[in-house]
Amino acid sequence: MTFQTLLDLVLGGVSLGGIYALVAFTLSLSLATTHVLNVAHGTFMVLGAALATLLFRVTPVSWPVAVLALLAGFALLGLFFEAAFVRPFAAKSPQQILVGSILVTFGFALAVEALLGYYWARLVDPQPSFSLTFPRARVTLLGLAFSGTRLTILVVAAAAITAFHLLLRSTPLGRAVRALSQNYVGAVILGVNPRLVSLTIYLTGIAATAAAGALLALAIPLEPYSGLRLTLVAMTIVVIGGVGSLPGALLGGGLLGMAEVLTAYVLGSVWSPVVSLLVFFSVLVVRPEGLWGRRAA
Amino acid sequence: MGSARGVMRVAGGLAVAVSLLIPLVGTRDLVTATFFTGLYIVLALNYDILGGFLGYMTLGQGAFFGVAAYVTVLLLNSARLDALGRADMLVAALVAVAATALMAFGFAYPLFRLSGAYFAIATFAMVLLIRHFILNLPDLTGGSYGVYVNPRHYLSLTVAYYLGLGLLLASAWLNHAIAGSRLGLAVAAIRESELAASTIGLDLFRVKRRVLVLSAIPSALAGAVFGLQAGYIDVDAALGVDKTLLPVIMALMGGSGRVAGPVVGGLVVRGIDVTLKNYLHLTVPALAIYGLILLTIGLLMPEGVLNVAVRRRRLAARSV
Repeated sequence: MTFQTLLDLVLGGVSLGGIYALVAFTLSLSLATTHVLNVAHGTFMVLGAALATLLFRVTPVSWPVAVLALLAGFALLGLFFEAAFVRPFAAKSPQQILVGSILVTFGFALAVEALLGYYWARLVDPQPSFSLTFPRARVTLLGLAFSGTRLTILVVAAAAITAFHLLLRSTPLGRAVRALSQNYVGAVILGVNPRLVSLTIYLTGIAATAAAGALLALAIPLEPYSGLRLTLVAMTIVVIGGVGSLPGALLGGGLLGMAEVLTAYVLGSVWSPVVSLLVFFSVLVVRPEGLWGRRAA
Repeated sequence: MGSARGVMRVAGGLAVAVSLLIPLVGTRDLVTATFFTGLYIVLALNYDILGGFLGYMTLGQGAFFGVAAYVTVLLLNSARLDALGRADMLVAALVAVAATALMAFGFAYPLFRLSGAYFAIATFAMVLLIRHFILNLPDLTGGSYGVYVNPRHYLSLTVAYYLGLGLLLASAWLNHAIAGSRLGLAVAAIRESELAASTIGLDLFRVKRRVLVLSAIPSALAGAVFGLQAGYIDVDAALGVDKTLLPVIMALMGGSGRVAGPVVGGLVVRGIDVTLKNYLHLTVPALAIYGLILLTIGLLMPEGVLNVAVRRRRLAARSV
């Protein structure tokens, strides 16, 4: 293995880990504040990749317009999703939230993925696949050649994670989110508005998740049915890192990203989806409470 | 209440009589559709042991079906059982059931670390894991091309039909027997409160593991029958999302936690399915329709349609 290969592998793993950490964190924010497990989380990544593919490849728009359209579109979709499929469970018992939200979000994911695959195949491309190419293949920094795609992914993912961190740490809204995830009833008694928090989480979370999907499409082509597997990846990281924990999501995302990239290098890329599933079951057997315990952020 | 049970008995008896006659008088299409409905109802009944009785919603019932179908077909194709003569199919099916039960036993360890939504997702992860292994080991399993059954081992539709019907009755009996047994009491205690169940000295994990293994066995037999009748299996036929999702939809539609629920729900869902595909020639993919049905059930009545009806009737009776 040359030094260049090693550098490419590490950058590949870390950038993939950045995407995974971002989507795992947005998934766990929803879980911590609304107790809804959004099985359609990965589906929003696929939708983000699909829209980005459409915007960049099929229609001739400049990239800032495309990025803004993607973020605004998915922020709106997040609001709609929250109002239609998350809000109805707000007043229900934990058991009803659990069963109801899985049925609804799983049903949503299946319906959307099946329709996306079907209509994309009929209208755009008979072999649906969502991928983007970055114009600069190699970037030279400090005398080292980096993959331009991977570097872009890493920078954007790190910026998004930092933005989420600042939002949670330093704004009144962030305090409300943390209060709700630590003690729901207590926070509501002290005047936190759970509706507002849940709307914000879905508005920002779905936009960030769709953007993460578009980023992932730079590195790996996605298919209409990739969504449920990506939800599982995010869930695995939540299980490793703990619900609502940003350091946990970073650690879990980095671990899985590196593991997948190394597996693809050693055994071939067909085995890399198996890694996250095996890690998922191994963590359950070894440490059911997650590496960082049950502590919320 | 007594008369309602009487009506159910008569309806059940009639349904069995009609299903016994279908292969004698029905068209091949009708027999095939009814055969598949029966297999799905077996899966729905098995699902309900976990989902309804124990209160652990599983999205992995199809895994046992698919693994058993693969083990049966691959074992027969490997010619290792040829020395057994005509008994080879039976032996292959039994080995497949044993392997599947062992797999359920093993998966109980990680799966029952979880409960609720996490458990449901982990069972789905189990299906995905198995799918990836089958796809990634083409030398053993045929990978994405699937495997053909040697024509010597084909099961005729009529034989498969009656085997499926027998499995359905056995599964209904199993659910009934569990509900009235000591194990059923333990299962109900766990469903109502795990804490309370553990304080009366129940070994929760052992009960759950036993229930998981029990629920896997009829699903595995159904998978073996399916594989030999179909003559060809691949991951989508044996381990498709429909195998894992339809049982849940059926049980919830008909009313989880009662023996008749998955049967009624199965007939309703398959009725909708067959009507849409065979008679209205709808081009929208089936998964989209299942997804929308699931979404609607979740929003309107997560307890199941039959349960809602029963509760309404009881409330009405009480208010009189």
